[in-house]
Amino acid sequence: MISRGAFRVKALALALCLAHSAAVANTHLEQAVKANYLVRFTAFVEWPTAAFPADGSPLHICVAGADPFGQTLDRAAQGQTAWGHPITVRRVGSESLRGCHVAYLGRGYSLTAATNLPVLTVTDADVSGHRGAVHFVVVNSRVRFHIDQGQSQRAGLRISSRLLNLALSVRGAR
Amino acid sequence: MNRLRRTLAGIGLPILAVGSLALLLAVAAVVFLLNEQAVRRDLAREAGAQADLLASAVSGALAFDDQTAAQDYVDAVQVNPNVLAAAIYDQNNRLVASYARGGETIPPVATPRDHTTQFLDGRLYVVRPVTQGGQRLGTARLRLVGKPLAQQRTQGVGLFLVVALSALLMTVLAVGQAALKRANRQLAARAEELAGANAQLHEQMAERERAEEALRQSQKLEAVGRLTGGVAHDFNNLLMVVSSAADMLQRSDDPKRREALIAGMRQAVERGSGLTRQLLAFSRRKPLKSAVVDVGEQVERMRILLERSLREDIRVSIDVQRPLRPVELDVGELELALLNLAVNARDAMPDGGELTITVFSEPTNDERICIRVADTGVGMSPAVQSRVFEPFFTTKEVGRGTGLGLSQVYGFARSSGGDVTVQSEEGRGAVFTLCLPTTDKALAAEVSAAPPAAPRARGRALLVEDDDGVAAGIGHMLRDLGYTYVRACAADEALKMFDGSDLYDLVISDMVMPGPMNGLALAREIRNRRPDQPIVLSTGFSEAAAAAGEAGFPLLTKPYGIPELAEAIHAAGPRRGTVTEA
Ligand SMILES: Nc1ncnc2c1ncn2[C@@H]1O[C@H](COP(=O)(O)OP(=O)(O)O)[C@@H](O)[C@H]1O
Ligand SMILES: [Mg+2]
Repeated sequence: MISRGAFRVKALALALCLAHSAAVANTHLEQAVKANYLVRFTAFVEWPTAAFPADGSPLHICVAGADPFGQTLDRAAQGQTAWGHPITVRRVGSESLRGCHVAYLGRGYSLTAATNLPVLTVTDADVSGHRGAVHFVVVNSRVRFHIDQGQSQRAGLRISSRLLNLALSVRGAR
Repeated sequence: MNRLRRTLAGIGLPILAVGSLALLLAVAAVVFLLNEQAVRRDLAREAGAQADLLASAVSGALAFDDQTAAQDYVDAVQVNPNVLAAAIYDQNNRLVASYARGGETIPPVATPRDHTTQFLDGRLYVVRPVTQGGQRLGTARLRLVGKPLAQQRTQGVGLFLVVALSALLMTVLAVGQAALKRANRQLAARAEELAGANAQLHEQMAERERAEEALRQSQKLEAVGRLTGGVAHDFNNLLMVVSSAADMLQRSDDPKRREALIAGMRQAVERGSGLTRQLLAFSRRKPLKSAVVDVGEQVERMRILLERSLREDIRVSIDVQRPLRPVELDVGELELALLNLAVNARDAMPDGGELTITVFSEPTNDERICIRVADTGVGMSPAVQSRVFEPFFTTKEVGRGTGLGLSQVYGFARSSGGDVTVQSEEGRGAVFTLCLPTTDKALAAEVSAAPPAAPRARGRALLVEDDDGVAAGIGHMLRDLGYTYVRACAADEALKMFDGSDLYDLVISDMVMPGPMNGLALAREIRNRRPDQPIVLSTGFSEAAAAAGEAGFPLLTKPYGIPELAEAIHAAGPRRGTVTEA
């Protein structure tokens, strides 16, 4: 069971205006939504079979660089599957993304090493302006995302149109 | 036993009828029941498909909290009027988006359910899980009109059957009617088309006739043109004879010498008039008209014309080998063909020579009569021979040859059922042989061949002639024939005289006269008043002559003498009620 997904940041933004001390809680909620979405993305992306050593081998969600999620991501992924693969969370620090399926690029991670691996790179406007295949932004107090199909296609991934439909923008679509 | 049978026999028919009716009703009931079930099944299937569609479409919106997108998908379901309510719940069964028709309520938190299809209280509830990539995201739920529609349908079936049957009947009738109408329309269209095609055909035929007529006319004119030079020369000679004889008559008192001079003059005039008559006959427009004739005689008749139209250094001999059977043909065309052959022979003999025309029955076959035209001219190469009958084929210089002469000969031969051949060698002359089929029909009565002994029919004549000299001459002839006459100078004057006095035994009128009315119009006018009035027309113009011929009046071609006049009067017939001497 995952925790409820519909996190409206709006109410908390109000709280933010009222009290500075709420900022921590707000950030915490935002990270919870993003963690949840990282797990959900796996259901809307198809990887090449070569990306998995075997049927039923785990699907890795990696956090590279600084980890803003803490336990939130582990809780969101707990017991979840995608396309029959159990989802696990790995923290790779500054190491290679080899073996990762989804990689959240936190502060202090440089992307160069990730280019040709079958990895859905997820970047965050909070971290840098540099965009991966998916790029989180907060619009109207809600967590939304941009998609760069050029990158996902280079990685050999197919992103479902149901996900594309929800993106703020889709770039590099052929 | 018997009674039972009788009873059965008595009520057999109604029982049968009622039985069949009951059977029918039972069948209908079963059909209705099955129908009801089928309707429910269909309804469930449709609703399930719709819910599946909604569930799969909404997955993204549900996964990433896009309430607006989810609402859009739910609203889209409204299109189905059977949907009473639709809702999307998240994984925790909390309402995300919904739509409900009036009177329907949507719980904010749903009872957890999996894949469900359920008829309950006339409603159909359908629940489908929303999953993506194996992750459960929530549920899509539909509430539809369940029974009412099915009941409506069941109740409607009876009515529907009646309506359908009558509709079928009407359709059959309508279709039959429409088919009939269509067939009629098609028939009408076809008839119209046919009429159109027919009209077109007629037009084409008329066009062709016109073209052929024009070709014939141009062929004639060409031949006439060829002749003109020769004839003009000939005419000068004749006029020379006449004028010198006239001079001499004035000076001579010797009766014998005068008689000889007069005889020479008459002969010259005869020749001249023979020539002009032929020329006029050629240039006249007249349609193809076949007559049964003796070809030998026709050829003989052309002797003068041929002799005169060719040059002096060409000797013409005509040999008619009898007996000959009659041939049916157009005399004008035959004459034209002979003339064309003769003119070609003349052209082929620039230094003079001999032209021999032989008429004979084909030796092996007296069903055909042949005319052989042989010359001693330059002859033709085989290459030229093979093309001579082509229209417009000529080896002559521009202005001298048109290439239409032999094509006329060929056309005439074919249209008469015969053929024409050529034999020639370069430098050794040419022989054209024209063969025509004979006929069993009798020869046409030869009017001109034996002019009847001028009947001394006495009577009163009205002579209409504008030229005083001509009038005097005709007057003499009329008197000679036993007529007294009065003269009018123009048509209107003649008409007044005709109306003023009754009973002219003969009206003889020139055709071309000054004044508003010409001779033909006058003749028609008089015929209107007295259909049995004998009328004779005379003219020197070929066009006018053709018109008179068409109108059916006997015609005298100027110049003419007493025998011709007598013949024309004879042809005009006696006036009814007038006793003429036998
Ligand atoms: N008697 C003939 N002798 C030699 N050639 C002839 C004779 N008749 C006809 N031809 C040839 O046939 C051609 C066609 O004749 P025709 O159809 O009468 O046309 P045209 O006389 O206008 O040339 C002539 O040009 C001539 O070459
Ligand atoms: Mg010719």
